[in-house]
Amino acid sequence: MENKKNMTTFFTQDVFYAIFLATLRMAVPLALVTLGATFSVLCGVSELGCEGMMIAGAFFGVLASYLSGSRWLGVFFAMLAGIVFAMVHGLMHVVYKVNHTISGMAVNLLASAFAPLLVKLVWNTNSITPTVDSFKTYEHTALKRIPGLSFLSEMNIFFFAVLALVCISWFYFFKTKRGFRMRSVGENPQAANTLGINVIGYKLAGVAICGALSGLGGASLSLGQLSQYVDGMTAGRGYIAMVINAFGHYRPLGSLLGALFFGFFDALQLVLQSSAIPSQFLMMLPYVVTLLIVSFGLKRIKQPAGVGKHHDN
Amino acid sequence: MRSSRFVPYGFAIPAKYGYSASALLLSLVCVAIIILFTGYSPLEIYQLIFIHTLNNKSRIFLALSQATPLIFTGMAFAIAYRVKIINLGGEGQLHIGGMAAAVIGAYVTGLGHVSHVFLSLAAGALAGAFVAFLIGIIKNKLGTSEVITSILFNSIIVYFTSFLCNGPLKPAGSATAQTKAVQATARLTKLVAKSQFTTAFIIAIGIAVLLYFLLNRTTLGYEMKAVGHNAVASQVQGINVSRVYLFTIMISGAIAGLCGAILVLGVNGRYVEDLSLNYGFAGLSVAALASYEPLATIVSAIVFGILKAGSFAVDRTTSIPVELVSVVQAFVVVFIAAPRMIDRLFDLVRSIFDLKKWRTKRI
Repeated sequence: MENKKNMTTFFTQDVFYAIFLATLRMAVPLALVTLGATFSVLCGVSELGCEGMMIAGAFFGVLASYLSGSRWLGVFFAMLAGIVFAMVHGLMHVVYKVNHTISGMAVNLLASAFAPLLVKLVWNTNSITPTVDSFKTYEHTALKRIPGLSFLSEMNIFFFAVLALVCISWFYFFKTKRGFRMRSVGENPQAANTLGINVIGYKLAGVAICGALSGLGGASLSLGQLSQYVDGMTAGRGYIAMVINAFGHYRPLGSLLGALFFGFFDALQLVLQSSAIPSQFLMMLPYVVTLLIVSFGLKRIKQPAGVGKHHDN
Repeated sequence: MRSSRFVPYGFAIPAKYGYSASALLLSLVCVAIIILFTGYSPLEIYQLIFIHTLNNKSRIFLALSQATPLIFTGMAFAIAYRVKIINLGGEGQLHIGGMAAAVIGAYVTGLGHVSHVFLSLAAGALAGAFVAFLIGIIKNKLGTSEVITSILFNSIIVYFTSFLCNGPLKPAGSATAQTKAVQATARLTKLVAKSQFTTAFIIAIGIAVLLYFLLNRTTLGYEMKAVGHNAVASQVQGINVSRVYLFTIMISGAIAGLCGAILVLGVNGRYVEDLSLNYGFAGLSVAALASYEPLATIVSAIVFGILKAGSFAVDRTTSIPVELVSVVQAFVVVFIAAPRMIDRLFDLVRSIFDLKKWRTKRI
């Protein structure tokens, strides 16, 4: 009853600022994973394994940070774990010609089976780890002094990594020869191969980058937002990233904008927790929005023509 | 292409089951490596899992009762995969089916045992089929792949049922999130006293036989197999492909819903928030190991049931947790999916030991 009374005064300026900040924060892991998915799709490999790579990144980041005491090593091993799990997907799909849905799901199953097992083996706890050295309390006081951009001081290192990585991948895909070749491999592997491009090499490279970025996205959850690993903390963001990716027309900039759009619903859900609406319905919100968009909003968006096709060099 | 017969040591087995056995063996080897890292002997652990479980009657029934939900979710995934639909929504369909069965089981009164159980099971199956119907209709009418929608439906349904058992359906004074206990008339009969081995196992086998007949003896089954092999050719031949898709995914959803219902009516006696111990996704491994044959699903589910029951004992006596089983399941999917990888491995083993030469010399 207390809460209901607050509803009229709920939407004050503070709340909008809180939603704005939360949107930026929630968009960070989504943007990183979506950027990874972009690499995967543009080189012609389905991005279904992103959820698993994200779980691997989130968990192994925490594990490395716990064992070494260094958050930077944590991030490094998060990306490495992402690459390892991505290579399972890459090897199965690209080299051994497995159906891409099955190989992606296999990665997701592997990662979501490994993480709880290792949590139990290393810490002997159920589904939750102790807190480790992280970027959660990362202070950059210098940014506070910039007028109008003082909110940047509330962001952690991953936010800036997203901005940099989006620019770099845009430049890679649209301004470099290699990026153009990677896109051509995704569109038409036969034609690309005729031109002497190493199709399988490019595909594996794309999947590996996807793994590194997804692992970084997982780390941005476990080392950037919580400083610990909790089972199910990725909460299907890898799957939502697939939808964001299509929503952003499979472009780096589009994935950033799409991530902000979906991050907004995640943020809305977080900020509205204190209102009278049952929390389960709020938590459902991002998934319902995703479902509506994937059902009705993606009519005219096509994947690169080569996705899911097998190819021999 | 290699021949369709899988010939490991000179005698032929149908290829797909040979690959299944090799995949299971390879995943056990991979998990053995993990066990080595924990400092235990893999041989002792596997001895504990398999021998210890199978030399005691009550532990055999534990294994069978652990296998029962896996038969359902395995069949649910397998039947959908026969038309190349990947129904990853088993988890959600299981939860909604369990909730429907719990509501009918708890709030409908004045029925006989058989009719009440039947009604509750039917409610679970219908609820699961309804969710699957939504997934199928979105696939048919809007062209959206069922992979993403079924996963999204999982999250939505789990939050919805969590709302129900935390809010309106939570009995007064209950500390945990659950619904009212189902009536005694709706509980499944225990076949063995002091175990969770109920009539659910018989229902599972009955459904597997029904699915076998559906696939091999009916027009719909023929159409399903045709669509699974080549959807475009089937369309040209006059099969209504979208109707086959819709029917199949609804059957799949109904079986997953039944799984939730038997968990509620047979195991927990009510809907609890953590009803499914990841059975929905485990179904993928079970179906893959059975190479998507309904009857073989029973066998592969029992294999995983034995693993699960055995790993309870391992969990009690060592520091290795039950979660080991899900790693085996995940590895099975990896190895089953890549028969070429297994071929390559066997070629490697052959070239190392040069088995053919060795055998011809002996003869």
